[in-house]
Amino acid sequence: MTYYDLPDTKGGAVDRDSVGRLFQAAADGDAAAWKALVEGLSPLVWSVVRAHGLAEADGHEVYQTTWFRLAQHLRRIREPDGVGSWLASTARHECLKVIRSARRLSPTDDPEILDRAGDGRTPEQAVIDSEEAEAEAERIRQVWAAFQELGENCRRLLRVLMASPPPSYREVSAALGIAVGSIGPIRQRCLRRLRARLAERGVR
Amino acid sequence: MNGGETPGGGRAGDDAIEDVLRHAAGIIDPVPAHLLQAAVEAYALASIEAELAELVFDSLTQSAPVRGTDRPRLLTFRGNGLTLDLEITAGRLVGQLLPPQPAEIELLGGRSPAAALTADAAGRFVCDRVAAGPFSLHCRAGGAVITTEWLTV
Repeated sequence: MTYYDLPDTKGGAVDRDSVGRLFQAAADGDAAAWKALVEGLSPLVWSVVRAHGLAEADGHEVYQTTWFRLAQHLRRIREPDGVGSWLASTARHECLKVIRSARRLSPTDDPEILDRAGDGRTPEQAVIDSEEAEAEAERIRQVWAAFQELGENCRRLLRVLMASPPPSYREVSAALGIAVGSIGPIRQRCLRRLRARLAERGVR
Repeated sequence: MNGGETPGGGRAGDDAIEDVLRHAAGIIDPVPAHLLQAAVEAYALASIEAELAELVFDSLTQSAPVRGTDRPRLLTFRGNGLTLDLEITAGRLVGQLLPPQPAEIELLGGRSPAAALTADAAGRFVCDRVAAGPFSLHCRAGGAVITTEWLTV
């Protein structure tokens, strides 16, 4: 079984009961369930790291620490269904510590960092490698460029929302430390700005 | 820009453009493959037979950020009747095990192989090379074995 075989209820995110079941199975010794859990929730953890704008190496370390910690707590987490929120919250707190840490340079607003894929490729290379049809590739470039132009708050929220599968608002709340109730309105506003940017670029 | 809905707006439009972003992120900024692999392999950590020592104090959550200074990171872990006080400054770790007693300690990092340390009769131990990154200590003292919660140093 892989995570992607699970029923995906769009908007409300993935079937959280299944996450709970995978987690329980992993806790009971099922390595395949653990792998499925990692594959299913890694994009969420990664998006939390990226949303905090850490330098590349720092981001990699936080991602790893977050998963190492979950493995450690595998038999101690009392609410298996909330494992996505647990990961998001753990990643957020590690990100904040890295940002505060004296040994680090200041967290960067350098667009180069957010602009670079996690594996060091430029967005342009990544799009070329994806072998999307030219029209679609161009749309992806434009949407990504417009996203980068948004203010920090919008970039941060949207970077988490664009995790795959779509995170629940509870997970988004844990990822960013904002109230569940404020996510919808901010999302709406940020997407409206994104659309305006795209309209300026003549992209529909 | 006025506050009205632009064409293609509304709830369906919001979902559609978020999906395009999701697709773009999957291509432009995916989870690096080697990180995914490291997380899959972390399952081995779940089977370590040791009491978890929880992080009960971290100077980074207490102090205001001060940039450019090399202030020590102070950490306290507690579990199974043992306390570990750690002080990390510029890659150097000074530790104190309480109650004071000799112990075998392994320093686990994300990348490097484990380093073996020894706590003296007073429970003190030192490591001069602590690499930045994920960090955990595995400590065997008397009959007790504890492992500290992972964190990033």
